[in-house]
Amino acid sequence: MSRALDVLPGPWLLRSTSPGLEAHAELRGSLPQLDAASLLALVEASGLRGRGGAGFPFATKLRATVSAPGRRRHVVVNLSEGEPASAKDLALTLHQPHLVLDGASLVAHALGTREVHVVTAAEHPEAQEALLAALAERRKERRDGRRRWRLHEASPRFVGGEASAVTELIDGRPNLPVTSWRPTALAGVDGKPTVLSNGETYAQLAALVLGGAPVPGTPAEPGTRLLSIAGPTGTTRVVEVAHGTPWRTVLSTTELAAPVLLGGYHGTWAPAGALEQLSVSHADLTAAGLGLGAGVVLPLAPGTCPLRATAGVTRYLARQSAGRCGPCHQGLPALATALDAFLAGGSLERVERLRSLVVGRGACAHPDGTARLVGSALAAFPDEVAAHSDGQCRALRPALTTVGVR
Amino acid sequence: MSREADLRVDWPRCEGRALCHELLPELIDLDPWGYPIVNGPVPARLRPAAREAVRDCPKLALRLIERKDSA
Ligand code: SF4
Ligand code: SF4
Repeated sequence: MSRALDVLPGPWLLRSTSPGLEAHAELRGSLPQLDAASLLALVEASGLRGRGGAGFPFATKLRATVSAPGRRRHVVVNLSEGEPASAKDLALTLHQPHLVLDGASLVAHALGTREVHVVTAAEHPEAQEALLAALAERRKERRDGRRRWRLHEASPRFVGGEASAVTELIDGRPNLPVTSWRPTALAGVDGKPTVLSNGETYAQLAALVLGGAPVPGTPAEPGTRLLSIAGPTGTTRVVEVAHGTPWRTVLSTTELAAPVLLGGYHGTWAPAGALEQLSVSHADLTAAGLGLGAGVVLPLAPGTCPLRATAGVTRYLARQSAGRCGPCHQGLPALATALDAFLAGGSLERVERLRSLVVGRGACAHPDGTARLVGSALAAFPDEVAAHSDGQCRALRPALTTVGVR
Repeated sequence: MSREADLRVDWPRCEGRALCHELLPELIDLDPWGYPIVNGPVPARLRPAAREAVRDCPKLALRLIERKDSA
């Protein structure tokens, strides 16, 4: 099922939403060529964190790849967004492809690498079309000299966009996660040091380097966030908000009054009303035990039981297990079944036991993310947990299979 | 002070045949499906047995990873 995509203009990356190179060059100027030290200094000063989910400081990754031994290095732009409700990289690809490509080009230049790999989602052929059009323009205008771009398509599954699954795909093997003994920054594509990040991270980097407007945000957290906000029906809206923006101005009154799943299916639940006093800020959300992950925001439909919604997502996640790692392959379906059983009056203890049993026991973080979702639901909704334990769920609506699946 | 090491499982390889549990019952339990549960880092006295488990795992699914620094 495809969801309608609504992309709103924003203060920084989405100052323009017209995709052409001419408009882009007019707005942001030509592409400078920075060496590794200057690029690193800039990224470090900006405090830029990766926007793929883990929120790791980008400077740390970049420095690790820059200072790794050996000469070959790789650059990967991961636009695959395995998370069903995530659409921010798709929005960038369709509306600001040159910003993403500029960012990747800057990193490639700093690393002395001619080639850049770009991975899109197979279910969005329009993303590859947009990239091909943008690359033709760049060649014609000599935006980045003799840069070589290699396009790849990731399979439409939840874990297809995981870092090791992406490097496997580029290396010509099945697009599935494998055990990483070393970080991608040191051993990624072809076992060589690799900068692998999502589209937004590269776009943020390019916007910083190209400048041309004051950086929005707060002194502690300069810059913006792209959010994919998906209601239970219809449209996903991609909005860009400056760090420090109150959630009151981002979400509607109805959305604020409902529980909101932040960070997507591997994310954490904010109970109804909890976001009213908080802002879109890493520090603010972390202090409240929440996180933005890759920026997916899923407000629950009014009257829906958040535990039943969680059970629906857990069943979906269990089906998305790549089936390669025993504890994930066996444990996630068992966890989903145990949660369903609890909601029908069964034991909570079994849910807790299976939840802790799967953590850390897979090639990727899929079991951990699923356990986090279930744990956060149990912690955020004590009243609903009690209601289910007594066999009486108070929700108006009996069930919801998934939140915001596109 | 001897440095610590972790016994890590390469999950896509592991087929849950439980040989590691037989060789190292002090450190490795089994989950309900027969897959290993490694309980914490490898203490010095279990290091030889851990090495043996790494060598003998029929799927070559175990690795002993030295910790960079034991804090
Ligand atoms: S942990 Fe699960 S999803 Fe990840 S690779 Fe293993 S089986 Fe696949
Ligand atoms: S011996 Fe190897 S394959 Fe068997 S359970 Fe242990 S790690 Fe898995």
